[in-house]
Amino acid sequence: MSKTLAYYPGCSLHGTSGEFDASFRASARALGLTLQEIPGWECCGNTAAHSINRLLSTALPVNELAKVEQDMKLDAVAVPCAACYSRFKTGAHEVGEDAGTAADVRAVVGRPYNGGVTVQNLVDVYHDAVGLDELAARVTRPFGGVKIACYYGCLLTRPPKVTLAEDPEYPTHMDDVVKAVGCEPIDWNYKTDCCGASLALTEQGIVDDLVARILNDAKACGADAVAVACPLCQVNLDGRQSEILRKNSSWQTIPVIFLSQLVGRAVGVSDRELGLRKHLVDIAAVMA
Amino acid sequence: MATCTVSPLLAENVGTGCGENAYKCYQCKRCTSGCPVALYSEMHPAMIMRAVQLGQLDMVFDDRFIWLCTGCETCTTRCPQGIDIAAIMDELKIIARRDGRIPADTPSAAMLKLNYDSFVRWGRMWEVELIARDVLKRPASVRSWLSLGPKMMLKGKINPTLKKGDTLAMQRMVRTSESITSAKMQRQADAAASAATASGGAGPAHSGGES
Repeated sequence: MSKTLAYYPGCSLHGTSGEFDASFRASARALGLTLQEIPGWECCGNTAAHSINRLLSTALPVNELAKVEQDMKLDAVAVPCAACYSRFKTGAHEVGEDAGTAADVRAVVGRPYNGGVTVQNLVDVYHDAVGLDELAARVTRPFGGVKIACYYGCLLTRPPKVTLAEDPEYPTHMDDVVKAVGCEPIDWNYKTDCCGASLALTEQGIVDDLVARILNDAKACGADAVAVACPLCQVNLDGRQSEILRKNSSWQTIPVIFLSQLVGRAVGVSDRELGLRKHLVDIAAVMA
Repeated sequence: MATCTVSPLLAENVGTGCGENAYKCYQCKRCTSGCPVALYSEMHPAMIMRAVQLGQLDMVFDDRFIWLCTGCETCTTRCPQGIDIAAIMDELKIIARRDGRIPADTPSAAMLKLNYDSFVRWGRMWEVELIARDVLKRPASVRSWLSLGPKMMLKGKINPTLKKGDTLAMQRMVRTSESITSAKMQRQADAAASAATASGGAGPAHSGGES
């Protein structure tokens, strides 16, 4: 696997989740990876494009893949946002599966994409591009067995025909990564349940229900904190807890931390660079 | 009794749009049992699938279910018939928007459009713009923003600035994709019209035989 990866941050990492961008870049640097941001990247189309303009939703990520393949001449791109990752994998899958779609997408993009780029999510970068042995070898500040519920959410593994995830209902690669940095991954039930995603903008009550159910299970299974690999999951699981507490005064908060912040801390990145002050639920118990 | 709108072409139009065959559904309801939002509306995924098969437009489009679908892909992952149910929900959203069948008080539908317009305008989606435009359209939403917004601002979670993408390239791709899609729809409409003419032509000949 190449040690230089193209990098697609996506809109959220430049917006509400700057600490995800910063911690991912810093952890990659500490792990010997070089990231090259795709010049002039466009939005991947996110949740909106595939329910408004289907062809555009396929073309946007494929356009970025063509840039990586033909302009940057790299064979892998890191896409840490789980939603962007899903659009990239879906776009590549659709042009690879169907010649008609491929022809339409080629007309929109203005050039063909030849399928030469591996798309890696945050977990893939640590698990595959770096590798678990290499990751463990670079740890300078291991966590002393902090219990972590690894939350994969929806789009790191689903749909498996697109992501090729080994076990979409009970994935374990993130668990392997947190274990390599000295945490203890717990077994729990809501690893891949939906947090409500962008309904947080319009249907906050539903999101509060879903978030409470997920976090209650993490706590019941003994987690000290939840690790996430998606900016929207992080905003929802961390941010909605104050509202859940307002509705239910017996609510016990639980920290929700980006996987890149856990890994970054373990391989010696400074707290300032990791953006540890941006959490709404206090994370001192885990990251002290 | 209330009248209802039925279109025998609904399942076919869904199929042409997204390539999925709704008739393969045999109502096992695995989609519904795993759906995170099935409890929050009258309809649920298996009911939507049945209504699509039967061409029951009102059942599909008067309910808010399709607008609550988060696209979590659990239904698609678990369907024993391999139907990409989430893609069907997307196609129904496309049809509802095109045919003016978005129910009143469906903020999620409006938000998707704000989101789309934002990244088309700037090349990238600008979160702060979404919130501002949503509050302008829906003043009542300011209360839910106030519960979280100030806390996020104090923590420096909200970045008010935007670095634009390649807006010219974005707008070119939007135009090309729209023209390819509308040409495809036109061909489809022409084919349906000529099929109707053909069967209409057979009609009089048949009734002529009866007389």
